Amino acid sequence: MEGFIIALFVCMVLALISKYLSVPAIPFYILAGVILGKAGLGIVSSNEITHFFSEMGLIFLLFFMGLELKLERIIADPSKVLVSGLIGLTVDMGIGFISAYLLGFTLMESFIIGAAFYITSTAIVITSLVENRKLMMRETETIIWLMVFEDMVLIIILALLSSGNQNLILFFAKIALALGFMYVIAHYGKEFLISILDRDDELPILFTFAAVLSTASFALFLGIPETLMVIALGAALATTDPDAFEQHARPFKDVFLVLFFVFFGVTIDFSGNLNWTIIAIVCLLAIFSKLVSGMLIGLTIHGSAMSGVEIWTNTISRGEFSIALAVLYGSPLVGATIATMVIVTSIVGSFAAKYSTWMRRGIVSHSRKRALIHRPHTGR
Amino acid sequence: MFDMALRSLNLPGVGTKYEFETDKGDTVAIFFTKTGAIQMYTLQKGCKTPSAAEMSPVEARRLGNILTGAIIEADQESVEIAFSALADLRITIHTIFVTAAVVGKTIEELQIRAKTGATVIAVCRHDRNIINPPPAFVFEEGDAALVIGESDQIRTFENEIMVK
Repeated sequence: MEGFIIALFVCMVLALISKYLSVPAIPFYILAGVILGKAGLGIVSSNEITHFFSEMGLIFLLFFMGLELKLERIIADPSKVLVSGLIGLTVDMGIGFISAYLLGFTLMESFIIGAAFYITSTAIVITSLVENRKLMMRETETIIWLMVFEDMVLIIILALLSSGNQNLILFFAKIALALGFMYVIAHYGKEFLISILDRDDELPILFTFAAVLSTASFALFLGIPETLMVIALGAALATTDPDAFEQHARPFKDVFLVLFFVFFGVTIDFSGNLNWTIIAIVCLLAIFSKLVSGMLIGLTIHGSAMSGVEIWTNTISRGEFSIALAVLYGSPLVGATIATMVIVTSIVGSFAAKYSTWMRRGIVSHSRKRALIHRPHTGR
Repeated sequence: MFDMALRSLNLPGVGTKYEFETDKGDTVAIFFTKTGAIQMYTLQKGCKTPSAAEMSPVEARRLGNILTGAIIEADQESVEIAFSALADLRITIHTIFVTAAVVGKTIEELQIRAKTGATVIAVCRHDRNIINPPPAFVFEEGDAALVIGESDQIRTFENEIMVK
């Protein structure tokens, strides 16, 4: 238990530092876990309690993702979203999967690494877009829809991975049944749900917590993946009052998700026969592949290589979803690889996202100077 | 007045975006982010990089008041509401600290409505608000009055009733 408190305290200090420096906190949480845990000082170890907290973190992360999936959402330009999404999927997942396989991972491990390699950190990307004042850029919309597309792909990946060796028809029948059940409740109980959420006592927060937890345990009972079910619960409840649910679930998500990152770090074991060259290659490729996909998207959607650079610098960071895949399906070796990739890409990514503004300004002012030299009297 | 194209857009995970282009070709974009902060971007015609400012909701409301044309001084603040549908009806709500000239007098005595056309709709006294003060209401030192009317009426009120 002391280890747990130490971890919490370290996280609080790290959160303060990362907010002060305005860099993403996720890599610091994982690093803290690595340093405190198995691979480092060995002060903190994972046990049943920490395991439970980590699981809560994952469940609330996915519940939030579900709340964001508003199915009736109008997409301004569906074909652009689809094209950029598919470019990202084939390029990044392709490079990730093939290189992992060539580097000697098994087929299954390569698939997990490929998926973790593909999925960008929505949390880091969006926070950095807001903090770097990039919301007005025309590439921002493309990047945001890219994140939504990735979320959809993640759901499919989770469904594929969790079906395992079960009877597929029975598996999907059970999922359909549970989905139907949730939508019926959200549809017919809408008034009741909203009346609960409107109260200003402890009921809304208690209800949110209970709904998420009971859905997860109900899923376990039915033998269907709780990950998918909490996403579905989020999506179903998003049809009632998503903002209220977000508000009441946020405290749980914030605390549990930090613990999820730390205890993921704690369980990482760097002592096995790790090949650091392989891990370094994966990290470099993770940065490089987003350059390729970013360039292709920039050229097809915006017709400009500059847009490609902007998309690249803003989508380098991998984070929460990559770790979720590592925790759910990764072997220790895959876990260590993904952990390093997340730490490296999120740190590189946050600096790239910041630096891209200066770089862009530099290029713009340079071309403006050139224009002034050519037409000295027309300039301002 | 509303023929300028105002685009509003919901950006998943970020918030809501409002954008419009001015007659002169400059672009203004406002983002209400999920964190509660409000970001305003302005992009001059022909420029590539916008300038941005991040505001808290209170700051954004102040900016809104300034933009609607209300006068804001250090201790006095007013809000002007324009109803474009009603022949451009403009109503100003103005806060003003009472002066020695009115302390100890009632609203009836001062003949505020008859003389100026403006109406005192609320008085703030020691952080407590008195809404719709009756005619027999007596002003005290330190009161802040909330007056509603057209801007001319407000000016008359300031010049003739709240004499400094």
